[in-house]
Amino acid sequence: MWRSGGLLGRRVEWDVVVDDQPDADQWHLLINELPWGDCSATNTTPDGYTYGIRCEPHEVLIPEHQLTGRWRELVDRVRDTSERPSTAEQPSTAEQPQGTTTDDQDG
Amino acid sequence: MSQILQRHVPPLRHPRPSCSIVPPFLLARIATLEDPRFERAAHAAQRSLTDVAHDHLDHGRKENTLPHRSLLPDEPRVRGQISRSIYDAQGAEALPGILVLTEGEPGTDDASISEAYDGLGSTFALFWEVFARDSIDDRSAPLDATVHYGNHYDNAFWDGTRMVFGDGDGEIFDGFTRSLSVIGHELAHGVTEYTAGLLYRGQSGALNEHISDVFGALVEQYARGQNAAEASWLVGEGIFTEQVEGNALRSLKAPGTAYDDDVLGKDPQPDHLISYIETLDDNGGVHLNSGIPNRAFWSVADTLGGCAWERAGQIWYDTLSGDALTPRSDFAEFAAATTKAAQERFGSGSLEHGAVRSGWSLVGITTAG
Repeated sequence: MWRSGGLLGRRVEWDVVVDDQPDADQWHLLINELPWGDCSATNTTPDGYTYGIRCEPHEVLIPEHQLTGRWRELVDRVRDTSERPSTAEQPSTAEQPQGTTTDDQDG
Repeated sequence: MSQILQRHVPPLRHPRPSCSIVPPFLLARIATLEDPRFERAAHAAQRSLTDVAHDHLDHGRKENTLPHRSLLPDEPRVRGQISRSIYDAQGAEALPGILVLTEGEPGTDDASISEAYDGLGSTFALFWEVFARDSIDDRSAPLDATVHYGNHYDNAFWDGTRMVFGDGDGEIFDGFTRSLSVIGHELAHGVTEYTAGLLYRGQSGALNEHISDVFGALVEQYARGQNAAEASWLVGEGIFTEQVEGNALRSLKAPGTAYDDDVLGKDPQPDHLISYIETLDDNGGVHLNSGIPNRAFWSVADTLGGCAWERAGQIWYDTLSGDALTPRSDFAEFAAATTKAAQERFGSGSLEHGAVRSGWSLVGITTAG
């Protein structure tokens, strides 16, 4: 799980190995019930956090204000179970879906 | 006799019906009650009417869609009258929380409440006294903030109608309301919503962040009476705990130098277009790439000298509130718009015009004209 945005725009990451947990069954139940395909919206709250959750084969991005119900339960579980989150050394880089930026280099 | 505030909403390009339980005409009637017995009801109705107006804000997903007609009766209103309300979420995440302080009431012992109240005042003062802007919508919108949001919540944000402040986690952040530049930054997001409506992603999002950093810094400088040379040009000074190796969230003068800490990492902001960060995080790095225009603004202010709000800030405000920007404006369009604004206000070939062009050139953006 990761979180980006916020006032600083920094990315932090948490990791949980589900199968190593004493209540792994509960984890799997929760994970399998979540509507993985129904999310993924850009966070439009200025300085708001966005959570990303990856549990193969699923991956989702959720703005913090949409973290309700079972999603909130999962995020709280991960945060409680995982050790202190680690700061990503570099922002996660990836191809942007549309051309953005450096067409304007040196004007 | 209470001062009844009148609010109108700016014209809308794409009208949408409003939806509320209490119809707007009834809210409008209650909002103008002058009997002191109904002061709270009138205030609540005014806020509800503003919330109805705000419902039309699509929060950047589409273009700005504020309703085109006034929701309040067309009566003379007094401009420049601030109206603040501070709420206490008491450690929970329900908004707005409990109303704990309204305009003109005596202060409290709660530092977060007092700091938020004073910070809203300082922000209003910059926009009104320097730019003649009457609150975030230029229509006397009430300024609301909620403090003590969440449990050790390590953030502050603008939720579309109010500022929301956590108390910090006590490890990295400790007191967001302590920073005038943070309070100004958050309120400026509201100003951007009512003006350029820059979409909060990619380059337009970085510009949205940039504008909040600029006016956040100017709020602080104006309140302290600091000129460009005296100012720290930091955003969020004083909100880190003592454990953090860092001065502030960001530096407009030197992006990438605000902090270097074993937990936080190093400030990742670029200071030149050549170092633009392509990322899926943070809505495309809106808090990162804002460093590029931030340094350009600092350069303009530094070149011109004196108080940054007077010329550099005025040019940026003219740009923000003018017609040149769209919700999808990118760095190049923004740079061109500021250059044009400088020309229009100070003349082609003026010191100010030259400073703006140089500022953008410094960060790798060449502007025509």
